[in-house]
Amino acid sequence: MIRDALFYVFAVGAVLAGWRVFRADSMVRAAYWLLAAFVGVGLILVLLGAEYLGLITILMMAGEMTIMAIFMVMFMMNPAGLNPMTMVHQHRAAVVAGVGSFLGLATVGVLADFPRRAADATHTTAELGTELLGDSMLVFETAGVALLATMIGAVAIASRRGRFGDAQDGSAPPGIEEPGEERGPGEGAGEAPEHEEMEHMHHGGGAS
Amino acid sequence: MRPSLSPGFAVLATGAAMAAGIYATAVLDEIVGGIVSGRGARAAGAMLAPVRRAAQLVLQRRAATERPDAEAWALAPALLAGLAAVGMAVVPFGPGLAVAGIDAGIVLFGAAMALVMVAVFLQGWSANSVFPVVGGYRFVAQALSYEMLHMLVLIAAALPARSLAVGDIVESQAHLWNVLRQPLGLPLYLVAAAGLAFWGPLRLPDAEDLAGGTSAELSGVALLLWRVAQRAMLVAVAAMGAAAFLGGWQGPLLPGAAWLALKTLALVALLVAARHLLARVPVERFMWACWVVLIPLALLDVFLGGAQALWAAP
Repeated sequence: MIRDALFYVFAVGAVLAGWRVFRADSMVRAAYWLLAAFVGVGLILVLLGAEYLGLITILMMAGEMTIMAIFMVMFMMNPAGLNPMTMVHQHRAAVVAGVGSFLGLATVGVLADFPRRAADATHTTAELGTELLGDSMLVFETAGVALLATMIGAVAIASRRGRFGDAQDGSAPPGIEEPGEERGPGEGAGEAPEHEEMEHMHHGGGAS
Repeated sequence: MRPSLSPGFAVLATGAAMAAGIYATAVLDEIVGGIVSGRGARAAGAMLAPVRRAAQLVLQRRAATERPDAEAWALAPALLAGLAAVGMAVVPFGPGLAVAGIDAGIVLFGAAMALVMVAVFLQGWSANSVFPVVGGYRFVAQALSYEMLHMLVLIAAALPARSLAVGDIVESQAHLWNVLRQPLGLPLYLVAAAGLAFWGPLRLPDAEDLAGGTSAELSGVALLLWRVAQRAMLVAVAAMGAAAFLGGWQGPLLPGAAWLALKTLALVALLVAARHLLARVPVERFMWACWVVLIPLALLDVFLGGAQALWAAP
């Protein structure tokens, strides 16, 4: 009884949070509404007896949604992500993709042959591991360690103070004047810039 | 299923443990601060000072910023305190006695601690002010650095127990506590714990160089709630440290809950002393130390734990 009630709380909560993702007017808010939806789904997995899968979903999504929000803020011309901005675009394609994926998943949900009862909750984590990986445990673990080593390598190469020297060597800070460009006598700061300078400004931060 | 407590008692026990832990942390902070600054430790003054400061903050008028994200701002301290409560609920205070004695207890703790990043970032972001938002972004850098460390040392502690349940991890230390069996574990965990509670040398999102960072625009009840939530997080990570590395509830004569409380307080005292004695670390240095030194050490710790799991195999 309580289990059923909790299911509806989490399910309706997840759907509402998913809807808020598209109504939010900021990148951080949209990312965290999406996180709320994922938390709802993770808790439903816990209710189904797959507590490890549900909790690991929440654990992973907490970091991932924050990183996603920060990447969005970095790519957008929106200082610190504090200014409001619309979070939806390409309406027609988005509606088609949304309705299509909903119908596909709903078909699976209606037609699949689910067990009537949740699994006995004693050793679900161990059973789930065997079910998912079986004899391939060593292969998966090796792949995991290889991926970790790759990530550490990528961080080492991309680091500002990497082993190949300072990554900022050879780059110049964006100045008001082009470095090395001489101004003739009589050319004041208030004069309209030359055509060539306009070109440079378009490559800089002048896009609006 | 493990034996579990009745829901009403469970909520009450968690709340009482949290409240006692938060107050004990504040008193310890006062005493250690008095000793370090040469004012001397006066027990009566130290008992009253936190109450007086809390009462003063309750009465203080709350200042507002221009167009804050009001919902997220209200949510942040509640989320942080709630996550601390989840962390506390996982820690067993007797054989088979825990509020949430689930099989994947370590994973639940890790999930709650991963969401701490969200709570602190929201606190910084929602004030719509410069220094808090810088503090929020800074905490994300800090969290991504200690997060790996935190999970790796807990996984190493779980390996000899061959279980993700915190109760099994405590029982696996019946003969030898993890602090001796895995000497790298507790020091690395304490670094991650200070980072999680943005405490002491790792108070980077709230640091002085950011004029208070995430708490720069907080006043009155909001500031009180944020401080309380932060200390709740400190108590929760100390309790898990006591369970994972100091044998949890195990000990002679005294009941299990008393041993757990003593060990938790010992770790809290260590972290409080660190706050008064150690200098704040710059965030760049902390990230460098984590990724270059501490995470490789934590991986070593995991290999050690794996070897112990293999040799202790039944």
